[in-house]
Amino acid sequence: MARRASDAAVPPPGLTVLAALGIAFIALPVVGLAVRAPWSDLAALWTPATRSALKVSALVTFGATALALMFGLPAAIVLARSKARAAPLIRGLILLPFVLPPVVGGIGLLAALGRHGVIGRGLAAIGIELPFTTGAAVLAAAFVATPLLVLAVEGGIRSLDPRLEQAAAAMGASRWYVLRRVTLPLLRPHIVAGLVLAAARALGEFGATITFAGNIAGRTQTLPLSVYETLQSDPGAAILQALLMVAVSLVAMVALRGRLLSR
Amino acid sequence: MIVAALLVATSACAGGARRGSEGEILVFAASSLTESFAAIGGSFERAYPLARVRFNFGPSDGLANGIEQGARADVFASASETTMDVVARSPGVVGRSVFARNRLVVIAPKDSTRVAAFADLAVPGVKLVVAAASVPAGKYARQALDQGGLHAALRNIVSNEVDVKSVVQKVVLGEADAGIVYATDVTPTVAARVRTVPIPDAYNVIASYPIARVKGTRYEALAGAFEAYVLGPGQDALRAAGFLPSS
Repeated sequence: MARRASDAAVPPPGLTVLAALGIAFIALPVVGLAVRAPWSDLAALWTPATRSALKVSALVTFGATALALMFGLPAAIVLARSKARAAPLIRGLILLPFVLPPVVGGIGLLAALGRHGVIGRGLAAIGIELPFTTGAAVLAAAFVATPLLVLAVEGGIRSLDPRLEQAAAAMGASRWYVLRRVTLPLLRPHIVAGLVLAAARALGEFGATITFAGNIAGRTQTLPLSVYETLQSDPGAAILQALLMVAVSLVAMVALRGRLLSR
Repeated sequence: MIVAALLVATSACAGGARRGSEGEILVFAASSLTESFAAIGGSFERAYPLARVRFNFGPSDGLANGIEQGARADVFASASETTMDVVARSPGVVGRSVFARNRLVVIAPKDSTRVAAFADLAVPGVKLVVAAASVPAGKYARQALDQGGLHAALRNIVSNEVDVKSVVQKVVLGEADAGIVYATDVTPTVAARVRTVPIPDAYNVIASYPIARVKGTRYEALAGAFEAYVLGPGQDALRAAGFLPSS
């Protein structure tokens, strides 16, 4: 009996089993958290400590995402278009925070911007000391979040039809005009995806933050840091905080996948 | 060939001589014990060639919670009686005894002169780093500041680190003006890069370190042997690291 052509789109059963295992592997820790959570003690979540951590996290996530957009977007455009010999190297370099252990990133930030750092020494001389400030937490989060935006936007630029920009230029549009009216609007979905990814990564940032910015409630203690500190003394409350992060991140990721797949 | 035969022979002898001393035990120990217990573990394994000791160093409160949640620790060595109490309640402990005591000191970067005495911690603008209040080292640090009447120093705290080793790291890197750590955290490597400022005895907090076997261990005999080793021959390594005797 001939198989119908539409069957070809249905994955073979063996693949479905592996897929189920893969999905379960990611889902199980989340399920574990939900099972372990002291749901009857939900009030433990709404403590001043959690509220202050949420506030710091919101500020840090927003600040880091803004920095990623301000510097990551130009970097992505310039790098994607660059024909310089060093471009592949720089492209790799800017993705480094993506794979580096965040703690290493934090030590690097200290070495650069700490009181005795390469640039930090000069900053300290004029009275600016970054470590242990909210600004440091923002920088730490921006450090790990920027590569995600760069990656998303670079992918978008490669899929652009260069003739659209060439046509605009041929009609006499200036380079800035082409960028503003042609390139950026075409890149919009990729920029939005990059922003969501960068924000989600900034929200979850831990290692670079605790190393570079320290841990002080209301100033540098973001939600992940609060989860870690609470975990030492009150695992139940920590799990509730963690689930709050899971909820926020899940919404971001589902919204993102919807956008990416519907295109 | 000969070497291999010798090895087999000696290990067989050792095994025969100390029955119940084979296996691998997991010791959960406060991070302030990192150096001394690593040394004790090495000499213990030389004394018991069929035994393996693995360590999990971390903040005492976190370790205690881990054991309570079912982490398979055979021995727990804590920096405070209260965190040991957590494990004593569940799953329970055997042979609990104090094996060392520790005192606090202030450390400051070598090239900084901001903190010359304990009282300087309260000078406005000093960047002080301590361990979080839930960690024994952090609790004791706050107690010492309180006993010294240095309440203003609490406002100088720029970071509550998750464990005492992170406090050391921030001072060694020169990012903080001072940190409160255990005397034993000033290892030779650390001492080369920091200045130690004593905390007067009247304000200092002496921490008692209890050790115990965790109930339900698979290697009861070996865990007991390790505990006895810490209380006996291991005391030299603890003394060398700067710990005070248990009484």
